[in-house]
Amino acid sequence: MKSSFPIFLAVFVALGASFGGFVVGGISQLGTEKQTTVLNSTDTYPLQRTGDATLGLQVYRAQGCAACHTTQVRQDGMTCDVVLMGAGKNLRAVQKVLGEIAPADKDLATNQLPKTIFSGVTKEVAGDNSDKLTGAGAKAEIHINATGADISRGWGIRQSVAEDFLWDYPVQLGSLRAGPDLANVGARYTMNLQLQHLYAPQSVDKNSAMPPFKYLFVVRKKINGELSPDALSLPKGIVPDDSEVIPTDDAKNLAAYLVSLRADVPLYDAPFTPTVSAPAEKK
Amino acid sequence: MNVNENKISVSEIDASCRVPLLALFGGAALWLVIGLALSIVASLTFHKPDMFANCAWLTYGRVQPAANDLILYGFCIPAALGVMLWIFARLSQIPIVLPLLPIVAANIWHLGVVVGTLVILSGNSTGFLWLEYGRGAFVLLLCAFFLFAISAFATFGARHHRELHVSHWFLIAALLWFPWIYAAANFFLVICPVRGVAQAVIDWWFANNLIFVWLALVGIGAAFYFLPKFAGRPLHNHYLALFAFWTLIIFGTWCGIPQGAPVPAWLPAASTVASALLIIPLIAIAKISVKTVYGANTQCKGGPFCYIKFGTAAFILSSLMLIAQACPHFSRVVGFTWFGPAQTQFQLLGFFAIVILGGFYELMLRVMGCELPYPKFVRVQHWLFIAGLVLLVGSLAVAGIVQGMKLENPKIAFDDVSSATLIAFRFSTTGQLLLLLGSFLFAANIFVMTARWKFGLLKSGWKALNAPLQASEVKS
Amino acid sequence: MNHDLSNSKSQTSTHLTVPIWIIALMLTLIFLGGVYFDHHSGWFDAKVYGPYQSAGQLAAYQPLSGEAAIVAHGKQVYEINCGTCHGPDGMGMPGKAPPLAGSEWVNAKGFHRLVEIPQLGLNGTITVKGQPMNFPTGMAAVGSAMSDADLAAILTYIRASWGNNADAVTADDVKAVRASVGGHHAIDGDVELKTIPE
Ligand code: HEC
Repeated sequence: MKSSFPIFLAVFVALGASFGGFVVGGISQLGTEKQTTVLNSTDTYPLQRTGDATLGLQVYRAQGCAACHTTQVRQDGMTCDVVLMGAGKNLRAVQKVLGEIAPADKDLATNQLPKTIFSGVTKEVAGDNSDKLTGAGAKAEIHINATGADISRGWGIRQSVAEDFLWDYPVQLGSLRAGPDLANVGARYTMNLQLQHLYAPQSVDKNSAMPPFKYLFVVRKKINGELSPDALSLPKGIVPDDSEVIPTDDAKNLAAYLVSLRADVPLYDAPFTPTVSAPAEKK
Repeated sequence: MNVNENKISVSEIDASCRVPLLALFGGAALWLVIGLALSIVASLTFHKPDMFANCAWLTYGRVQPAANDLILYGFCIPAALGVMLWIFARLSQIPIVLPLLPIVAANIWHLGVVVGTLVILSGNSTGFLWLEYGRGAFVLLLCAFFLFAISAFATFGARHHRELHVSHWFLIAALLWFPWIYAAANFFLVICPVRGVAQAVIDWWFANNLIFVWLALVGIGAAFYFLPKFAGRPLHNHYLALFAFWTLIIFGTWCGIPQGAPVPAWLPAASTVASALLIIPLIAIAKISVKTVYGANTQCKGGPFCYIKFGTAAFILSSLMLIAQACPHFSRVVGFTWFGPAQTQFQLLGFFAIVILGGFYELMLRVMGCELPYPKFVRVQHWLFIAGLVLLVGSLAVAGIVQGMKLENPKIAFDDVSSATLIAFRFSTTGQLLLLLGSFLFAANIFVMTARWKFGLLKSGWKALNAPLQASEVKS
Repeated sequence: MNHDLSNSKSQTSTHLTVPIWIIALMLTLIFLGGVYFDHHSGWFDAKVYGPYQSAGQLAAYQPLSGEAAIVAHGKQVYEINCGTCHGPDGMGMPGKAPPLAGSEWVNAKGFHRLVEIPQLGLNGTITVKGQPMNFPTGMAAVGSAMSDADLAAILTYIRASWGNNADAVTADDVKAVRASVGGHHAIDGDVELKTIPE
């Protein structure tokens, strides 16, 4: 072949296709995402991060935290629980049904309610059995749970979805878990613990491999031997007794961002039944 | 340009590449050394976490991307452009057209890398994987690439033999590929950012199209040029090579969205399907390379031929790792583990750097018209690189699988998961040291070569100055 | 080493054809890939993520509690048992069945009449939304064989949908009405219907 036109065509066709699919398609589908509402509620989600948390994301980016941490929870599947909420007027009939479907619970008494009759079953099984129970006049509910290793680890209740990152720029999903996932770290660590962990990770978790971010803090002599209000309250032995550790604005913002990381409300695309009704955090 | 009448000699063509190639390779060698050194600095954090606790510029999250970008943007791309330019000139049978452009381009490119690296280390990175450099460096790199491409296209367009070589397909496509993905990704992520997780999708698209597809186009394009030359026989099956080209770009371009990412299911599903289909170009490339090389009576003895053979094999292996990462079940295990970085390092250093270094050692003697200053280093570097890669990639890949299996079991505490991988860093850091040593040898060769050449120029210039004037010159 | 400059195809590469087996392998993989994509992509639905495979599955896994669950169940049973005549939108069908949307019988305060209609069947002239109507086929006792829970779910659903707004009907309510009617022929239009207490 002599003409180079086919090469141009090849690039145009091949790269053009994936450009259209992933870039144009991605932008038109995800780039136009709007706030949604929390499932079975009227609360909007996600709320804009507070000012200091928004600045904190920039600190997170600048230190390259995403090199070691992800902020995305993966989900392997979903299971259902059937929970008997009330026995209705005819306990006998309910017990009879229970005898058929869950012999272990056939002598159920009303004061044991609510009680989980089945757990970890598929939607079909849960649906059939709860229909049987409601047929006997009982009040039964099906609870949906998201499952997976990340979720069992306590890193989240459900998988991360696009809405969780709606306000973020840059979106810091991360690709390596040298450290734990942070998608819900706001639910695990308080502001003070975050700051202490940033200053001296090993003082919070002895075996942590995280480098300390001492450069985000200022160590200075205590004034009149008193801890100033801004100083971290650290366990003994981290800094000399006559010194105190003051977080810089960067450290405070970063901690605020970390505390704001919470993706634990049910959404249409990531459904689950909250055990204690999950409050959408309102400020 | 009409070259039919007075046939141009090979050495003339090679000589026309001299200055541009020295500019491209010189910087590349420097960046390779610095990049590998920085990646060692980064991995020190895993041996002693509080090493750089007080030094923002050397914190892991900055040094790590800076090192990776230096290897990719600092070494891989400019070195690849150098090899590409020489292949274009050789295939066109003419000296480089507009030779000034690649020289200017090389300098702008290297300036861009300096700017980008400082941007990352000072904490101003964009935060997007493989696109950390930001606006300033983006403009510089893109301009440099355009200037380079003008000269490359002009050389290609003026080719003496109109018939296209297989390598033309791969290399021309690469010239068109890079500006498209680089400009699009920077536009939508940095210049005029899109909202939400679409950013991540575009970043994955870009990273895959650069690190997998672009490197494959250039590396395999170069290998398909060099392998037949070394083996002293024609490339096996022209049409299969074109088939490999088409399938590589059609399927390869859709890979890269990880399973389980927080994006609608169709995106990772499309990538999974595309990754499985990558088997096709891989089989084709493997078949072509093996059939071309197998049974040839050229021995490689640690020379450039060895480099290219090893690099091609590494391409197949690292691509298989890429496919494995996209497999629905395996991806769950190795996702977010050290397996990913292992694959990337293998692709960058095991496949691409080795192929390009092989090409470099092959062409440099011809371009400079003299032997390498330290010809033995070539062989030593070859073994250092292979040993280093086995240690680095092998240990990280195994660590990744162990880490992944432990992560999948929620009963194992996270600390125990990470400490299980710590042992791997002893090996991987040793591997990085060997690689660094090897890159020193490469740098030594090119720097001494450049110095000698410049010295020679000076000497002849000095001679010319002192020479008695000719009568004709006096007149004018 | 051969470093001549010529790069005519005949010298730089051999010209065999692409082996047929690799094309066959590719087509097979494309087919399998298509099947995989069909199962796992959710067909470009923006709401379908990860382990969910389709919009339908995602909808099935929405957590419902209390009345919402009953309404969802009622919708299913309604569409199988009643929707064929009254339409999935409750607008009725000319010559087949009157509308349920906006019907004063459906929106009645009490539930007695409403339970008895599907339990016993309905014939003769019926006035819906102020318009007297007559359907030669009438309505058979389609609900008589249903469980209390199912019928209650259907009635709760039709009372809560298409702009209707009336209280839920529980399985106990249905049971009570059923116990009071015993064996009976189909109700005879408005006239008899009105004799039943609301
Ligand atoms: C075979 C078709 C058919 C089916 C199935 C059917 N209906 Fe009817 N339905 C009718 C007809 C015809 C009438 C009007 C009867 C008449 O002529 O008096 C009617 C009337 C009614 C009415 C009173 C009039 C109104 O519009 O409010 C109600 C309430 C009603 N049906 C509910 C149901 C429910 C609930 C079901 C399912 C359990 C059901 N129907 C299934 C045909 C049907």
